[in-house]
Amino acid sequence: MLSLAARPDHVLLADCIAADRFAGLDANAIAALPVVHGGRPGTLGEFFKVRGGHSSIVRIEGDVPQVEAIGAGMAGGELTIDGSVGRDLGLAMAGGRIDVRGNAGDNAGGAPPGAARGMSGGEIIVRGNVGDEAGARMRRGMLAVTGDGGRGMGIGMIAGTVVVFGKAGPGAGRFLKRGSIVALASIERPATFRYACTYHPPYVGLLLRYLRSGVGVPVADRYIGGRYERYSGDLAELGKGEILQWVGE
Amino acid sequence: MKINGVTIADTFAEAFTMRVARLVITGRTAKWAREAATKLTGFATSVIGCKCEAGIERELTPAETPDGRPGISVLFLTMDKASLPEQLIVRVGQTVLTCPTTACFDGLPDAPDRLAVGKALRVFGDGFQASKVIGGKRYWRLPVMEGEFLVEETFGMLKGVGGGNFLILAADADAALAAAEAAVDAMTSLPGVILPFPGGVVRSGSKVGSKRYKNMVATTNDPFDPTLRAITQTALPEGVNSVLEIVLDGTDAPSIEAAMRAGIPAACRPGVNTITAANFGGKLGPHHFHLRKILA
Repeated sequence: MLSLAARPDHVLLADCIAADRFAGLDANAIAALPVVHGGRPGTLGEFFKVRGGHSSIVRIEGDVPQVEAIGAGMAGGELTIDGSVGRDLGLAMAGGRIDVRGNAGDNAGGAPPGAARGMSGGEIIVRGNVGDEAGARMRRGMLAVTGDGGRGMGIGMIAGTVVVFGKAGPGAGRFLKRGSIVALASIERPATFRYACTYHPPYVGLLLRYLRSGVGVPVADRYIGGRYERYSGDLAELGKGEILQWVGE
Repeated sequence: MKINGVTIADTFAEAFTMRVARLVITGRTAKWAREAATKLTGFATSVIGCKCEAGIERELTPAETPDGRPGISVLFLTMDKASLPEQLIVRVGQTVLTCPTTACFDGLPDAPDRLAVGKALRVFGDGFQASKVIGGKRYWRLPVMEGEFLVEETFGMLKGVGGGNFLILAADADAALAAAEAAVDAMTSLPGVILPFPGGVVRSGSKVGSKRYKNMVATTNDPFDPTLRAITQTALPEGVNSVLEIVLDGTDAPSIEAAMRAGIPAACRPGVNTITAANFGGKLGPHHFHLRKILA
């Protein structure tokens, strides 16, 4: 359990916070992990009170919108954040689950600057809104957002799944090769996506049921058994990806 | 031992180890799930001629299936590890993939032995298929003319039991059939068990090999054939003129025992003389179901 002891004055880069990394460490070792605060090195213990240790189930209490890169490179375990988080949540994550009970900043589940691949496995659940380019260059895994998405959601996705319950901003799915963006509300599709059909995709029902029963995200029946328009794209790329937009029961 | 005046023979049913998979087939309606399951389990009565044994285990409510639709649970058995995936790939590909609205899921998720059935079927998608991982399981989405076929990548395989049985010895064919139907009704939908023969009943029980044809693996069970009573070493008591057999396959021995415990008393009806079982002196298989012990 981590709880904020001193609110950071600047952006706190805390890419050391990952559930699988904590599994082999006691509270003192976790507190000694390096962070960068306003460009200066520090330790996690300067900002967070650490309780427990040797566990891959980690909880962060409260809002931490100034803390960035939480869960970066995480490969397993469960990380729950009781409030909002900063940008780069689950950056290049490879496994496990991150559950945010608030909003997340830009590039959630995305790729480090210059990297070809973002998230390569695991699940990120954001029970709120996300910033721009969530799920950018995702290779595998699933990002579910119960609120709205910013610009460029799933931009450059190679595979994997992004589910957005609210509005998705412009440029969603641009340069997508494979992968799926499931939009339950409005989505601004790039012109390089082409309509294929309207149907009941069986996997969407399975996915949404999993989110409801396995993850505890409230999902209405109308989405689980609903009809979806399928748009193939990005036709400027490989074109084997899709945007599935819910259109009714 | 007697039940309702019917003698329970002091003998045992001899069964052997098989490999078993459980498939969960769902559909838009129960009708379409059942259509696929019926076709999938067709011509799968005995490994002797069909290379596999299969049957419907039970119907599943939407709450019991992975995708929340009505479903059918099917058990599928073969004699060895290698032939189970072969049979599943061919049969699922021809009967479930082709059936409108259906999807196919693994019903043995905890089994460590995995059969790459969906992984093999995916190539029907001709490169347009896509995989998805949901809750740690990989599924394949195959584009088809109707829309999409969803199949789990792997299916679990366990050691199961094949060849559990009991014989109903009756005064006439009507009494034997009525008793067999009552037994099947009592055993239908019990977990972990299927009755692979038509209506769950066999009229042509067999013995191993042949007295006359050396290439035959199985031939008529002449000691139990009433028409041969006068010319063979019969096993039939006086007054028995018809015999029917119930064959049971299952995921494990306790499931078979539970089904026999339900089915045998149900078969003890008027006109039935004796309930006995087929065995081969203990040489065929390691599973021995002693009738009197089960019913005690």
